[in-house]
Amino acid sequence: MTNLASASMSRPRAAFAQAVAVEPDFDLDLPGVEHPIAPRRIQVVPTRQQRRARPKIAYAAVVVTGVLAIVVTQLMLSIGLSDGAYEISSLQQQQKELDRTNQTLSEQYDSLSSPQNLAASAEALGMVANSAPVYLRLSDGAVLGSPVAASGATGAITAGQSLIPNASLNPVTGTAATPADAAAAAAAGAAADAAATADTASAPPVAEAPADVPWTGALPSPTTR
Amino acid sequence: MNTAANRTTRRRAAVAVVAVMAVVAVFVIRLVSIQIVQADTLNAESFDKLSAETTSYGLRGDIVDEDGTVLATTVLRYDVTASPKSVTDFERTGDDGKTVDVTALQAAGEIAAVIGQTPEQVYGTLTADPSSNHVVVVTGIDVDAFRAIRDLEIPWLYYESNPVRTYPNGAVAGSVVGFMGEDPDADPGATETGDSAGTEDEVGLSGIEQMQNQCLTGTDGVETYERGADGVAIPGSSETVVKAQQGGTAVLTLDSDLQWFSQQALLARIQETGAAWGTVVVQEVKTGKLLAVADYPSVDPNDIDATPADQRGSIAFQSPFEPGSTFKALTAASVLDAGLANVGTQVEAPFIYTDPNGASTRDSEFHVDPLRLTFAGVMQESSNTGTAMLGELLSSQQRYDYIEKFHMTKPSEVGFPAESGGILAPWDEWDDQTNLTTTFGQGVSNTAIQIASLYQTLGNGGVRLPVQLLDGCKAEDGTMTQVPDATGEQIVPSTVSTDVVNMLETVVSGGYASKELSIPGYRVAAKTGTAQMSDGSGAYGDSYITSVAGLAPAEDPQYVVSVTIAKPVTIESALAAAPVFQKIMSQVLKEKRVLPSTVPSPDLPTTY
Repeated sequence: MTNLASASMSRPRAAFAQAVAVEPDFDLDLPGVEHPIAPRRIQVVPTRQQRRARPKIAYAAVVVTGVLAIVVTQLMLSIGLSDGAYEISSLQQQQKELDRTNQTLSEQYDSLSSPQNLAASAEALGMVANSAPVYLRLSDGAVLGSPVAASGATGAITAGQSLIPNASLNPVTGTAATPADAAAAAAAGAAADAAATADTASAPPVAEAPADVPWTGALPSPTTR
Repeated sequence: MNTAANRTTRRRAAVAVVAVMAVVAVFVIRLVSIQIVQADTLNAESFDKLSAETTSYGLRGDIVDEDGTVLATTVLRYDVTASPKSVTDFERTGDDGKTVDVTALQAAGEIAAVIGQTPEQVYGTLTADPSSNHVVVVTGIDVDAFRAIRDLEIPWLYYESNPVRTYPNGAVAGSVVGFMGEDPDADPGATETGDSAGTEDEVGLSGIEQMQNQCLTGTDGVETYERGADGVAIPGSSETVVKAQQGGTAVLTLDSDLQWFSQQALLARIQETGAAWGTVVVQEVKTGKLLAVADYPSVDPNDIDATPADQRGSIAFQSPFEPGSTFKALTAASVLDAGLANVGTQVEAPFIYTDPNGASTRDSEFHVDPLRLTFAGVMQESSNTGTAMLGELLSSQQRYDYIEKFHMTKPSEVGFPAESGGILAPWDEWDDQTNLTTTFGQGVSNTAIQIASLYQTLGNGGVRLPVQLLDGCKAEDGTMTQVPDATGEQIVPSTVSTDVVNMLETVVSGGYASKELSIPGYRVAAKTGTAQMSDGSGAYGDSYITSVAGLAPAEDPQYVVSVTIAKPVTIESALAAAPVFQKIMSQVLKEKRVLPSTVPSPDLPTTY
């Protein structure tokens, strides 16, 4: 039964195969034609049309794949673009923040490098200006000018009090700052001033200066710390 | 086929077609209406909802000194506003992901801690009018305070940035740099509609800020873009409507360190002598560039209100005064140039001299016998009678012409706002006394800048160079515009100017202020002046303007320093100004690395 069934089931295929083998140009789609040939090992041989038809599937595959690829690419591009937009946005935000930091630091730098602040700081450190500079001419080794030791009396430029105001040295607290705050700042300022004055007054810098640069041999060498 | 059924089918088809046509027609009409008729309106409407506009600030440019030290710059400051309607408690998510409830009062306390107020003050501001939609919490805070408040993550606060002018060096060159303020010519209605305070509504009101307003002013740009629901720009939609243009940088010839030193030295001496005001001008002889223009009183542009309104200008440029004896250098140059005398010309200078017109003058110190002086000696002694006698060798018109030739009757090339050109009546309107006194600098008024320029001319072989305060206006791309003309003009021959400088050197080597004027190692040529000040009603009062103007090194002058101190109380002679001159000139020579003099002084004879 099984054999029979399989035989009868395989029949149309056999017929089809034979027809193809015998008459390649014969129309395959003839259900009524019976070929009384016993089943045997057969192989599908594609017709020329089939051979021609087969690439069409490949084309379709290529087209579908292509379309898919395009869709995917476009999707990726779109994702990339909007990702880029977010990145630009976040970078712009970052730049804004960095600009702000830059501004704060430049402001600080400009105020700190103002001559008022430099002079006050230098004098607070006990530095004095030498009003009698001496030049060494390299061509003949001549010393131009007469060397005079700098002294606290002639070398102090501000003598502990900076007379040229600079409101930018006080931190900005906004226009709504309270008087108490200003008073505190003033007190701090006064304390700093007092400290600076005390420094310059109590410590004659000339006497102190050599202590930091001991004579250690043939050449004076600074103590590096 | 049944004809009735056929007819029904046809009727149905017709109805269907008509219905479809009707629907299509409706669509087409709607389409035309939306796409063509209403297109502009709808586009505009959608654009408003979709598009965002940002202002890119074209900030006002900097004012810098010769080596780029910033004297004025623009920074952003922040305003914090709130909507009282929505001031409520809120939840804050901490870094650890936990949420904390924050009450409005707590939030107010946190804000208060940053801006230096009490929590009650801030809470009061926030709740003063709960129905309002807008209240200003604080204005003009800096970046640090802004960040601190922003980091509080309070949902009902809003922030706005404004460009603000700041002067990192404070009062250093304050009177020259100037300051900003509301445009007095502006339409008052216009500021009402302006969005916020800031430099936009402000213009330079004085000094360089005013003079270079056009160079410094930037143009704000506008950029529009379309944004998504989360506010992120839709790629490719941004469009620059107006490109922001940053303001130019005004580059000055000033040296901020020297400027500060001059101001400090001047003010210290003014306080010491109880003087009213003073000014210092330092000019480079070979270029005509001003290195320092110090004034007292002077304004700190960061804090304009600390200085009375009438003291915010620059005295050196704007306030002429009778120079007194420093003017004698001009008389000397005129007489020498006309060939009517030389450095050795001998004069018997009496204590009181009365000229043929009947006008008279006297020396500042009494002497019984006439002084037997050479021309150089007249300068050294600063003898008024001697100068008048020599000066009157020239006619009034000749002297006026020389004064004019030395540019003493017109403002300098700087073009400083409200710059004065000095005061001098035409020679044919001089009365006899003016005719006499103009030889020694009374009856004629000049600015400190003009006096400095006179000495620059004498120091530069008689070639007067245009006075320069501005190197130029530097655009964003580095190009310099408004570079001033530096073409000199020969006023007197170099032999004359050298003679005058040599005569002035005798003032430093042997005059009454010799000790206060000398700088060890350098040959200095200078002239002192103690001029009586007009009391404002046409007569001379009992206060003086003391001054020193001079050059160093005398053998090849490099720098002019001119110091003027008015109404000193403790010393009423040029000795009030002399130490300032010496201090500043020493500093200039040191800072500019001018080598000590090696050529000996000619030591002109002063008596015979």
